[in-house]
Amino acid sequence: MSNFPVVAATSPHLVAVPVSTGVATALVALLMLTHIQFAAFQQGGYIILAVTDFIGWKGKDARKDRFSKGLVTALGATFAFGSALAIFAVLILFLGLWSQFFVQLARIMFWPLVVEGVAFVGEIACLYTVYSQWDKLTRVRPLRVGLELLLFVNASIQMLAINVVAAYMLTPRPSNSLALNLLNPTLIPLEVHRFVGNIAFAGAIIALVGGIRILLAKSREGRAYGDWIGHYGLVYAIGFTIAQPLIGWEYAKEVQLHSYAAWYSMMLGGLSVAFLFQVFLLGAIFTVGIFYLWRRIKASGFRAPTLAVCTALSFASWLLIATPSSLAWSYEDVVAANANVPIWQGGLMIPWGEMIPFKLLALITFTGVAIVAVTVYLKHVSKGHLRWGDAGRGQAAALITVAVAVSLMMALMGYIREHSRAPFLVTDKVLINQQQNFNPPNAAGPAMNGPAGLGIIMPWDPHP
Amino acid sequence: MSSPSQPPRSELVAKLTRPVARPLAGTYRWVDERLGISDLTHQLLYEAVPRRGAWTYSLGSATLIIIVLQIVTGIFLLWTYVPSTTEAWESLNFIEHHDEFAAIVRGMHLWGAYVLLLVIGLHMIRTFVSGSYKKPRELNWIVGVLLFLLVLGLGITGAMLPWDQAAYWTATVVTHVVDYIPFLGNWIQEILRGGPQMGPETLTRFFAIHIWLLPALLVPLVGLHLILLRRHGEHGSWVNYEGIDTETEAERAARMAAAEYPYPAVPSDPGYAVPMDIDDFFPSQVFKDAIVSFALVVIIFVMAVVVGAPLERAANPAALNYVPTPEWFFLPLDQLLVQFPQAWMIPVGVFVLPGIGTTLLVLVPFLDRSPEREPWRRPEVMVPALFAVLFLVFEALLAVNRLFNL
Amino acid sequence: MADNAQALAKKRISRRRFMILTINGVGAGTGLLIAAPIVGSVLSPLFAKRKTPWVLVADVGQVAVGVPTAYVVNLPTDEGWTVPAVPRTVYVVKLNLNGSVQMLTLSNVCTHMQCDVHWDTNLKQFLCPCHGGLYSITGTNIGGPPPWPLFRYEHKLVGNTLYVRNVLTGA
Repeated sequence: MSNFPVVAATSPHLVAVPVSTGVATALVALLMLTHIQFAAFQQGGYIILAVTDFIGWKGKDARKDRFSKGLVTALGATFAFGSALAIFAVLILFLGLWSQFFVQLARIMFWPLVVEGVAFVGEIACLYTVYSQWDKLTRVRPLRVGLELLLFVNASIQMLAINVVAAYMLTPRPSNSLALNLLNPTLIPLEVHRFVGNIAFAGAIIALVGGIRILLAKSREGRAYGDWIGHYGLVYAIGFTIAQPLIGWEYAKEVQLHSYAAWYSMMLGGLSVAFLFQVFLLGAIFTVGIFYLWRRIKASGFRAPTLAVCTALSFASWLLIATPSSLAWSYEDVVAANANVPIWQGGLMIPWGEMIPFKLLALITFTGVAIVAVTVYLKHVSKGHLRWGDAGRGQAAALITVAVAVSLMMALMGYIREHSRAPFLVTDKVLINQQQNFNPPNAAGPAMNGPAGLGIIMPWDPHP
Repeated sequence: MSSPSQPPRSELVAKLTRPVARPLAGTYRWVDERLGISDLTHQLLYEAVPRRGAWTYSLGSATLIIIVLQIVTGIFLLWTYVPSTTEAWESLNFIEHHDEFAAIVRGMHLWGAYVLLLVIGLHMIRTFVSGSYKKPRELNWIVGVLLFLLVLGLGITGAMLPWDQAAYWTATVVTHVVDYIPFLGNWIQEILRGGPQMGPETLTRFFAIHIWLLPALLVPLVGLHLILLRRHGEHGSWVNYEGIDTETEAERAARMAAAEYPYPAVPSDPGYAVPMDIDDFFPSQVFKDAIVSFALVVIIFVMAVVVGAPLERAANPAALNYVPTPEWFFLPLDQLLVQFPQAWMIPVGVFVLPGIGTTLLVLVPFLDRSPEREPWRRPEVMVPALFAVLFLVFEALLAVNRLFNL
Repeated sequence: MADNAQALAKKRISRRRFMILTINGVGAGTGLLIAAPIVGSVLSPLFAKRKTPWVLVADVGQVAVGVPTAYVVNLPTDEGWTVPAVPRTVYVVKLNLNGSVQMLTLSNVCTHMQCDVHWDTNLKQFLCPCHGGLYSITGTNIGGPPPWPLFRYEHKLVGNTLYVRNVLTGA
C-alpha cells in the first residue's frame, strides 16, 4: 500500500473530425490534383531551365537567356504557391482530417519523409539563390547552371521519396523488412513514368504560355517570342511522351502482377471508362502535337509531306485507341468466337496482353510515328527553316489544346490511381473508412513498431 | 668551405658515371641509326593536337590502356586456368582460395572489363556529341563501332569461361539465342556449342574465341583506329573552332597554309580542317591521358582487392532454383527478351530491333552530314540519340526491377 | 617464217601475266588447303553420330498423381572426348486422363532460352525465372515468352522403374 497519491492520467479531449469521409476524400482529391500539377511543373521545369540556360550561354542566344529568366521567375512563383499547398495539405488535411492513416504512414515511411523534408530545404536554398541573384550569377554562368542542375537532382530525389510512399500504398510487399518495403514492385516503373512525364508536362505548360502569347501578342517581336516558346515547349512535351506507351505498359504489368484487383478495376472494371478517356487524351496529345509540327513548318513556307503522313497515321491510331468496348469487341467476345489464340494461329491475340490488340498496336504506332515526326521537325529547325513569328492562330490553338490535354491527363491519372485501390488506402492493409479520427496508440502496436519502442525502424535494425 | 677549384655537381656526376653512360649512349646511337627510333618517337610525340577540351579527349587513350590491361591480366590468368568443363571451375576456385595475388589479377580482369565497357561508352558519347565522325573521319567512326561490338563479344565470351552457375547458364542462353535465326539457326547453335547441348567442346570453342579469335580481330582494328586518327589528326570539338564563322577568306587561307602536321585534315568542311588553337601531344595531352588512365586503373585495382571477382558454385545443369541473371551490359537485351514473347516475335526483339540500332549507329556519319559541330545546332541528331540512351537505361532499370524481385 | 613466229608470239602468254596468274592460283590453292580442314572441323559437330543409351532414373511407383516430382538423371551426352554424364532434371508427372493414369517425363529446360524451369507449388504451374515463362502441369506453355510446350524425354517403364534417354520429343 502506497502513501503517495497516485496521479491518474486522464484521456485528453480530442476534437472530432468535423467532416464526413466523403467530404474529406473530396478535399484530398482537390488538393492533391492541384499539387501534382505544380510539383510536376517544378521538376520538369528545372531540367528545362538548366538545359536552356546552358545552351543559351554556349550558343550566345539572347532569346534563350530571356526565356530562362522568365522560367526561373515562374518556377519561383509556382514553388511558393505549390509548397504552401503541400504544407497545408500535410498539416491540416492529413494530420487533421486523416490522422489515423497519416500517423501510420509516417511511422512506416519515416525515412522517405525525412529525405523529402531535407530535399525541400535544399530546394528553397538553391531556388531562391538562383532567382534573387540571377543577374549577379550571369557573370558566373557555370555556377548558375550547376545550381539549376542541382535543383533538378533535388526535385528528382523529392519525387523518388514520394514515389516510395505512393508505390507502397499501391503494392505493399508482405514483409516486415524496411528495405523491402521501400523497394517494392511498382517503385521503378512509377519512378521512370513520372520522371519522363514531368518533363513532358513542364514542356506542355511552356507550350501553353507560348500559345497564349501568340494570341495576345501586340507586336511582331512579341509574337515571334511566343512562337519560339511554344515550339520549344512542345518539342519537350511530345518528345518525352514518346516513351510513355512503353513505360506505361510496363507499369500496368507490374500492377497486374502485384495488385490484380487494382489492375482489373482500371482496365476492365469500374474505372475503365475513365481509362478510356485517358487514352483518348493521349491520342489527342500525339495527334494534335504532330499536327502542330506539320502546320508550323508549313506556316514558314516549307513542305513536310512526311509530317502530313505522320499526322494521318497518328489520327488513325487515335481513333483506334479511343474506341469504346461497346463499339469494338471485348475479350469475352473473342473467347466466344474461339479466337483467343495467337494471330499466327488464326486468332486475334497478341502476346503483349489479352487485350483488344489494336489498342496496343495504336500505342506502338504512336511511339514510332512520333519519333519520326520529331526527328524530321528538328531537321527543319536546324536548317533554319522556321522564321519565328510565322505561327498562326491554328498553331496557337494546337499548343493550347496539347497543354490542356496534358494537364487533364495528369489529373485524371491521379484520380484513376487513387480510386483503383478502393476500398483500400494501402492495398490489403488499411481501409479508407475509419482512417480519420486519431486513436491513442495501444501497447501492442503494429509490427512496424521497431525495437526501442520508438515506433521507427532504423535502417540497421534486424528484421523482425 | 668548398674549394673554388671543385667542379659543379653535374660535371662531377657526369665524370663518375662516364664508364657506364658512354657505352649505353653509344649503343643507343648504333640501334637508332639502324632502327630510326628517335625519329619515330619524335613524330609520335610531337604531333599537334587541339588545345581546348583536352581532358575529354583522354577517354580514347584510357580505352586503349584498359584494353592493354585486359590483355596482360588475361595472359597471366592463362597460367592457371584450364578450359575444361571438369577443371575450369576447380582452377579458378584454387585461385580464389589459395592464391591471393592471382585472385587480384582475376579481379582486375573482371573489373577491367566492366570499366572498359563504361569508358568505351563514354568515349562513344564524347565523339558523338563533338561531331568527330564528320568528314573526313567517317571511317574511323565505323571502325570504332566495330571495336565496340568486339569488346561486347569479348565481355560476354569471357563471362562464359569460369563454368560456374552464372557462366554455364549465360552460355546456355547466349548460344540458344542464335537458334532463333531462321533456317540456319539450329546449325549455327550446334557449331557454337560443338553439338546440340552444352558440353566440353562448348567451353573450348568459346575459350578460343575469347583469347584468340576476337583479340586477333581487335588488335589490327585498334591499330587501324590509331592510324586513321593520326592520318587526319584529332578533331577535338566545337570549342576548338570558335571564330570560324567570322574569319575572312584570307584569314582562313592563311590558317590552312600555316597548319602543322597532321593538319589540315582533308577533305573537310570549310574552316574545320585545322583547329584554332593547338598544343603538343607530348607532354600536354599525354599528361591528361596519364592522369585519367591512372585514376581508372586505381579504381580497377581497388575494386579487384575490395570486391574481387565472384565465383558461384560449379555449374549444375540439373539446377531447379537457380535464377540466371545476365551481366549488367546485357540487361537491356534481356528485357527485350521479356517484351517480345513467343514465336516470330522473339527474332524481332532479339535480332531486328538491336540490328536496327546497330545499323543506325554505324550509319551516323552518313545520317548527319551537316557541317555544324555544336550539339545544340544538331537537335535532329542529339534528341533521337538521347532517347536511344534513355531507352537503354529504362530497359536496364525494368530488368533490374524484374530480376531482383523488386 | 616471220609470220609464223609472229603468230606464235601472239598465242603465247607473256611472262608477267603468267607469273601473276600463278601467284593468284597458288594463293587460292594454299588458302583452300588451309581452310578446308578448318571449316570441316568447325562444322564437324553437325555431322557427328551420337549414341543415346537408356539411363536408369528411379522407382516411380510412389509418385503421387498430380504432383510433378523432380529426379536428377545423369545422361551421357556424347559431346567431345570426355563423354561426361551431365546431370539433368526430369519431371515425372502422373495425370488422370480419361479415366486412366498417364505418365509424362518432362524436361525442365525452358523452350524460350533454355533456363531451368521448376514447379511452383503456390502457382501450381511450371515457372521459368529468367523471363517469367509459365507452363501447365502437362507442360503446355500458357504464359510469358516460351513459344513451345516443355519437351519430353523418351522413356520406358520396366515394372515401376523408369528409364529415359537423351532424345527429346516435341523439340
